[in-house]
Amino acid sequence: MTVNDGIDVVRNWILSRHPERARIGPDEDLVRTRLVDSLSFVELVYVIENATGAEIDFDTIDLKDFQSLSAIQRAFFTTA
Amino acid sequence: MRGHPGVNDSRDRFQHVLDRLSTKAVDDYYNPYRLLEWPDSLPDDMWWMSPELTTTHGTAVAAGLSEAQLRALSKYESLNFYSLNVHGIRDLLIEVTRRIHTSGYEEPSRFFHHFIGEENEHMWFFAEFCLRYGGRIYRQQPAGERAAPQRKETESLLVFVRILVFEELVDHFNSLMARDTRLHDTVRAINRIHHQDESRHIAFGRELVGLLFEDVRRTADEGELDAVAAYVRRYMTYSFESLYNPRVYRDAGLDDPLGVRRKLLDSPERAELERSVFHRTRTYLERTGLLR
Ligand SMILES: [Fe+2]
Ligand SMILES: [Fe+2]
Repeated sequence: MTVNDGIDVVRNWILSRHPERARIGPDEDLVRTRLVDSLSFVELVYVIENATGAEIDFDTIDLKDFQSLSAIQRAFFTTA
Repeated sequence: MRGHPGVNDSRDRFQHVLDRLSTKAVDDYYNPYRLLEWPDSLPDDMWWMSPELTTTHGTAVAAGLSEAQLRALSKYESLNFYSLNVHGIRDLLIEVTRRIHTSGYEEPSRFFHHFIGEENEHMWFFAEFCLRYGGRIYRQQPAGERAAPQRKETESLLVFVRILVFEELVDHFNSLMARDTRLHDTVRAINRIHHQDESRHIAFGRELVGLLFEDVRRTADEGELDAVAAYVRRYMTYSFESLYNPRVYRDAGLDDPLGVRRKLLDSPERAELERSVFHRTRTYLERTGLLR
């Protein structure tokens, strides 16, 4: 899986829960737009874990890393 | 919780319930640090949790495992269950402590003292169990930020609904495991003691949620009531799904823990377990009109 595929999986997961949406901008705020809320956040974390194959330490999570698709891409799908 | 004409009956009723539960809390008071017996270790090859209450029970996932593997899995599931208790208690203590002896909570505050004291003790014995027999407390599964702040009445209602849903979920397991003779005495004792205290907390929580909902209902429009019901429904599902912890499946040695979790969440057995866990809670919430 390339790094780009990973973020696609995340985007598709969000879109699948929001049939009213056709696309999500890379910098769109996922919380403010309610694409992800307090109750679906845990699923988002597991979708990212599944796509990266790496466990995320829940006690050191920084919510800023989950604020937008580009933030998620930077935090979890960039290999450098 | 403020006085309104026409609600004197329910306020009288609340006073009576508070009297009864506070007296009972004093009568049933015990020293948890002395009461429980803690053997150095528990046998590994036992059921740590009633098998019917484990997330894999009756599923295709369980069909591929030996009985020894299922018993091992029940150990990690029980550790997850007690870890959920630890984290749930910390969260509810924060909320109740924030409100005790503040305006609007004059009456329930006297019961809050029992509640806070008892919950601290519950958190202690659940944590002790996890650390002593499992060497770990599972981390709290992450929750995101709450988006829009609610008006104060709705916020208070939802705080106490969340506490009630959590306590009822846990109590379903406690009350069954307290009676399950397949389980070790120490496991049964913890579940029995917790069930005893929680019967008072749940009786209290139902009365308080009923009153708070009356306040909200008087001042809310249909759209807001629908939104509350939809949120509570989703919150119940969210709480239930926290029982399906991928770290548990990993520790029990299952391949693809996230895949296992997904498979279990999508299984028909999950729907049946969720229905039975929340049967009483749903009936209560429908009767009050909160779930519609
Ligand atoms: Fe408790
Ligand atoms: Fe409680």
